[in-house]
Amino acid sequence: MTRRLESMERTASTDDPLIEADGITRSYGGVAVLRDASVGFTPGLTVVIGPNGSGKSTLLGTLVGQVPPVSGEVRRHGPAVDGRIGYLPQDVPFRDAFTARETLAFYARLIGVEGAVDEGGDGAVDDALAGVGLADAGDRRVDALSGGMRRLLGIAVATLGDPPVVVLDEPTSGLDPGMRERAFAAAGERAGTGTAVVVSTHDLELAEAYADHVVALHRGRVADAGPIERLLANHGVDDLAGLYRSVVGADPAGEGSSAAAGDDAEAKPTGGEDDAAVHVPGVSDR
Amino acid sequence: MSGRPAAFATVFRREVVTVARTPAYALLVVGLLVAVGGLVAVGGGGATGFVPAVVDLLLATEVLVPLAAVVLGYRALRSDRASGELAVIRTFGVGAVTYVTGVLAARLLALIVVVGLPYVLVGGYIWVTASPDTGIYATHTGVDSPLLFVRFLTFAVLLGAAYLAVAAGLSALAGSRRSAVALGGLVLAGGVLGGDLAVLRSLSTGTPAAALPDLLALSPNGAFRGLVFDHVIGVAFEGDGPTVNAGRALLALFGWTVAGAVIAVVALGPGRFVTVAFERMRRRVGA
Repeated sequence: MTRRLESMERTASTDDPLIEADGITRSYGGVAVLRDASVGFTPGLTVVIGPNGSGKSTLLGTLVGQVPPVSGEVRRHGPAVDGRIGYLPQDVPFRDAFTARETLAFYARLIGVEGAVDEGGDGAVDDALAGVGLADAGDRRVDALSGGMRRLLGIAVATLGDPPVVVLDEPTSGLDPGMRERAFAAAGERAGTGTAVVVSTHDLELAEAYADHVVALHRGRVADAGPIERLLANHGVDDLAGLYRSVVGADPAGEGSSAAAGDDAEAKPTGGEDDAAVHVPGVSDR
Repeated sequence: MSGRPAAFATVFRREVVTVARTPAYALLVVGLLVAVGGLVAVGGGGATGFVPAVVDLLLATEVLVPLAAVVLGYRALRSDRASGELAVIRTFGVGAVTYVTGVLAARLLALIVVVGLPYVLVGGYIWVTASPDTGIYATHTGVDSPLLFVRFLTFAVLLGAAYLAVAAGLSALAGSRRSAVALGGLVLAGGVLGGDLAVLRSLSTGTPAAALPDLLALSPNGAFRGLVFDHVIGVAFEGDGPTVNAGRALLALFGWTVAGAVIAVVALGPGRFVTVAFERMRRRVGA
């Protein structure tokens, strides 16, 4: 079977994907959550949008190896071949009894980051904390951090050691506007250094402000993907909310666009097969 | 240090700190101390010497040590998986073998402290207070000695290690905290009672009594009990021959420990792909 991989627009070598999903299908109990998804991720910030249950977390999980696909494969290119992939799951998982600095130090030691255990406060761990605005919270236990601070800590962990690909699953879920901005700013800053940052989100306003590329999922399929300007032009819409409506056929507000909505439904799909999924020429054509 | 040894040391250190910061485990030490101290005080054997104290403690140890081990192990490998942190740890290049051995080694250290501390305190008390003189290091049969108590404690730790590993291994399979508790209970009940019942059933169905030393050695409790009879109590008293095949008993305790670790590695490593295999089969059947 020949597959034509839909990747982001390639105008220069830096636009070649660092990681790509090729024909990924994943099902649970026979119900497909992700179907034949093919998409590449280039340096820059790519937002993955779609309703709850559209396959966002599953797609991101396959990228980091957390969710083995039933069929298809994930390929890495260039620096991503041997480099680790930074990952922030939807639920920030760190142990409560450790401080933010100890948590980061644990991960820093795992990859042998120089100065990870510098107790003087000027090591790589403190740099990472400062990078996400948690310089003053390093000695606070994880269970004493707010939800937003935990997610920022998660972003710091995910970006530790400058991985070529960083995957953040709904980093703004449940956060207040200020924290959401900080989370996206941290992701955007990383994306500006040549890293492929993949962010799933329902926060379309911030996504539009920071994203270079968009992947729109609908009922487990890649409905559209590409640079944000191109997608907006192709769909004849002014903003990401319009693109969402165009692709999904529903108002994002009615699909749980709240930052607190989460995407928990993805592991328990309720929908059945949907052969009438949105088909956009040039995207995941088979 | 780099690579796997460094990752092992990092996981080990994190787990040790986690245990040290869990107040419940301190309560476990206190509870064991009260139980062990109380049994020695009530039994009266401790006033006479180490071997009589071991006789008083043997049955309770067969329950208390596995209980402590299961408490230490039943969530050891489940918590990171359930919280999702294991997925993050994997992205740092930590494989299932490194992760499992790091966690289990730390929990084993915790077990040595949790079990060892109460027994050492009680042993010290016996050493100081028992009469006749127990400060003799036995070199031949018939003499009580603190070394016999150390040997008893060593066997108890080996017993606990087997339970710890099996409980931790099954915890890696548990889907929820409730099922982790249930599996831990199953390990405890199955180990403490199941082995002996299986031996009794085997004898009642015609297995010759001469096979008893080998059969007893197979279950953790049987192996422990046999080793204590033969190499702690039996040193001070004349026996009628070995209760258990010592080599087989030690091998069994070691084997249960390794088996638990292997279960955990498989569950957290290739076991993740079992559901994918099922889904593939389902697709083929449905296609």
